[in-house]
Amino acid sequence: MKKRQLLMQLAALAVCIALGAVMMIIGRGHTVYLDNKTLEDYQGQTYKAAHKIVVTVDGKELTKLGPRERGMSPCIGQSFKMSLEITQEKGGEPETRVIQLDLPYGMDGIIVNLPALLAGLPEEAWMSEFIPAPEPEEPDEEVPGEGDEFDIGGDLGLDDGLDIGGEM
Amino acid sequence: MKMKKNLFGQSSDFLQNNLVPIMFIIICIICYPLAGFSPSYLLNEIVTRMGRNIFLILSLLIPIMAGMGLNFGMTLGAMAGQIALIFVTDWQIWGIPGVVLAMLLSIPFSVLLGMMCGKLMNMAKGREMILGYMMNYFVGGLYQLVVLFIMGPIIPIKHASIRLPRGYGIRTTVNLTSLRQCLDNEFAILYKGVKIPVLTFIIIGALCLFILWFRRTKLGQDMRAVGQDMEVARAAGIKVERTRIIAIIMSTVFAGFGQIIYLQNIGNFPTCTAHTQIGMFCIAALLVGGASVEKASIGNVFLGVILFHTMFILAPRAGAAITGDAMIGEYFRVFVSYGVITLALIMYETKKRRAKSQGGQLLAQAQREGGVRS
Amino acid sequence: MDKSERLQQTRLNQLVNTYGLPRLIITGFLIFLFIMAPVAGADFPTQITNVLNRFGWNAVLVLAMVPMVHSGCGLNFGIPLGILAGLLGATLSIQFGFTGALSFVMAIVISTPFAILFGGGYGALLNKIKGGEMMVATYVGFSSVSFMCIMWLMIPYTHPSIVMAYTGVGLRNMFSLDNFYANVLSDFLKIDLNPIDVNLVIPTGSLLFIALLCFLMWAFLHTKTGTAMTAVGSNPTFAKASGINVDRIRMLSVILSTWLGAVGILVYQQGFGFVQLYMAPFNMAIPAVAAILIGGASVNKASIGNVVIGTILFQGLVTMTPTVINSLIHIDISEVIRVIVSNGMVVYALTRKTEGGK
Repeated sequence: MKKRQLLMQLAALAVCIALGAVMMIIGRGHTVYLDNKTLEDYQGQTYKAAHKIVVTVDGKELTKLGPRERGMSPCIGQSFKMSLEITQEKGGEPETRVIQLDLPYGMDGIIVNLPALLAGLPEEAWMSEFIPAPEPEEPDEEVPGEGDEFDIGGDLGLDDGLDIGGEM
Repeated sequence: MKMKKNLFGQSSDFLQNNLVPIMFIIICIICYPLAGFSPSYLLNEIVTRMGRNIFLILSLLIPIMAGMGLNFGMTLGAMAGQIALIFVTDWQIWGIPGVVLAMLLSIPFSVLLGMMCGKLMNMAKGREMILGYMMNYFVGGLYQLVVLFIMGPIIPIKHASIRLPRGYGIRTTVNLTSLRQCLDNEFAILYKGVKIPVLTFIIIGALCLFILWFRRTKLGQDMRAVGQDMEVARAAGIKVERTRIIAIIMSTVFAGFGQIIYLQNIGNFPTCTAHTQIGMFCIAALLVGGASVEKASIGNVFLGVILFHTMFILAPRAGAAITGDAMIGEYFRVFVSYGVITLALIMYETKKRRAKSQGGQLLAQAQREGGVRS
Repeated sequence: MDKSERLQQTRLNQLVNTYGLPRLIITGFLIFLFIMAPVAGADFPTQITNVLNRFGWNAVLVLAMVPMVHSGCGLNFGIPLGILAGLLGATLSIQFGFTGALSFVMAIVISTPFAILFGGGYGALLNKIKGGEMMVATYVGFSSVSFMCIMWLMIPYTHPSIVMAYTGVGLRNMFSLDNFYANVLSDFLKIDLNPIDVNLVIPTGSLLFIALLCFLMWAFLHTKTGTAMTAVGSNPTFAKASGINVDRIRMLSVILSTWLGAVGILVYQQGFGFVQLYMAPFNMAIPAVAAILIGGASVNKASIGNVVIGTILFQGLVTMTPTVINSLIHIDISEVIRVIVSNGMVVYALTRKTEGGK
């Protein structure tokens, strides 16, 4: 009886850990930045930006990108699917392509260079990591959340830190 | 004649038992026209707050069942939830998987803290509430130690967006942009300007069902027995201490989940202070719903959330309308929340004392009668 | 040899038991701080001055715990009530136009009837709920503080140096006592060693005042009523049997505690130099409770010695940790240490078994 209980507990623990692991994989969020930018001098070749690219993700039009423009899409999970409607030259006939990308797990922000991607170049040519500039510490102002905390203590301008030492 | 007296007694009993909810209904009715909110705005606010708070408040029910009073220590669970959320934010797990992972991660912290709290409460029987209340502050200090000094050098935090520029510690506010309202927006229904967060309500419903089921299990029955009379329960072979610890652990774990649900709705939280008031206003809401220190039902939770938050939304505006000073309304709602808790505590203690002295009288009488017989 | 060693060990155990482990740790920590202070580059006399000053501010508030603990009402988490009486005294005394040292005396005089009134009501309430005092006291304190927040806005004060500058209605969050009773006690007979190059200032007046109150308290506890109070606290059934009116004695102790709370906040203000209103009294209970517990009191036992030792230890901790620790390891961890120590002390005291009835 005791043994069965222990077994059950271990099984529950295993299920929790497994569930956690699954969540870590399917829930990993990335931000995909889509650049319609001319890639210059990659192994001696230049890949020109298209005149216009319409990006559709999940059936919704995300952005229209002209040359040297950047679009952004959040993505949960390691697989990013988008459909592109590319117009190479002004007045040209648009061409639609559906592209699925496998995103690397360790990268938060991923820059994808569309011209290079469309030209079928290897991954390192069109993918690079987006490293955000470290944002400065925000001043101690109240965040405009919609919290319903009681505004006690700190928020009433009383925490001058001079009292005999409250607990907060 | 006798029946009339009975009837009168009943109605006064009803009044006495439901004094607080009735008072709140009256306050809300008075404040409503003064505040001048549109019904759909008010309804939307109330529904939002129901989704946000009910889970947290439900976590209070189990310790009440076990006779441990209002679990002021539920804040410990809230802290566990916040630590889990910090990790999930750092690991960049988004959306519903992020919330689920945060809940899973919060469990070990909650269990640990709950166990500690339960053990200490067993050392301070009869003083559980004040102990739980002081535990808030004590563990709050430990939490600050972890969040401000240990996270960074000892527990790795990768992301510069949540780390302080000095290189260790967490920023004053943690942004949950990627988790924001992800539960609430799933299957949400928008009806005449009122957004109903269906998934959140389903989760709440599941917890309600769990509590109803739990009451009927062996462990639930044991808890009720312990709540009725510890010595009798012990004589019946129930492991009193263990049962009480389990009750607190369960409450803490649910409070952790509740805090995660609460914070995903709000979308960000002040790292060091998000938990401080949570216990207080959950307890106030529960009491407003007509619960007492020794008895609370799921109905009390729902009624309490609706009444308490209606007052909370209306009071500042109504106060401003009456006195011309918005601060008075703010202070008024704080006063009312504390006042309700005070009133409930006083009623509980007087009742306990009366029961005790009645018991004493019965005993004395029995002894006297026994003396006559012998 | 072996025997004496064992004896020593049991002695150590005994010491730990009577003195309490957390208290031992705190004392040790404080001694460590004092030793490390020169290493950290902190000036020793300055540290002593700070501790003495802080002691002068806070000792009366800690003393306010004693009567209620003695009569078995537990730790006075309801001290905000006394503080409110003191605040009423302070604001009314200024409102009525008193200045200088007289305003301090008048503040005490005016706050006395309020303290008796509040304490009386509070005591009557606590008599109804014997056994559950501490939790109720906490919330009575909270609700009365938030109620008075409304009152500070509504009472028609007019004195220009205390009402809000722009509207003229309602009191300020905080106002200076420079023209009133700032430092009236601490400047009285002050010993300042700065001229001979020692940064030591002794606030003699404050210390004398505290000594006076402590002596009065000690004397009171040795009167007939005082011993009755101790009897009520240690064994209510026995006290009742020997003809003591338990409820009356408890009520008296609560009034006394409340009044001391009122005087305590006034003494605190004269040292601090400012009056803080609104939510400020909220967080004043726990430091005072923690201080007396650190001093060796328990939930149902407290002496004047506990007050003095506790206040010195606690305030020593509060003033020394930031300067010493921060300059040693360059991490501003002192606040967190203080929170953990003071609240941990209260938690520890609550889990101790109490002798006598609950």
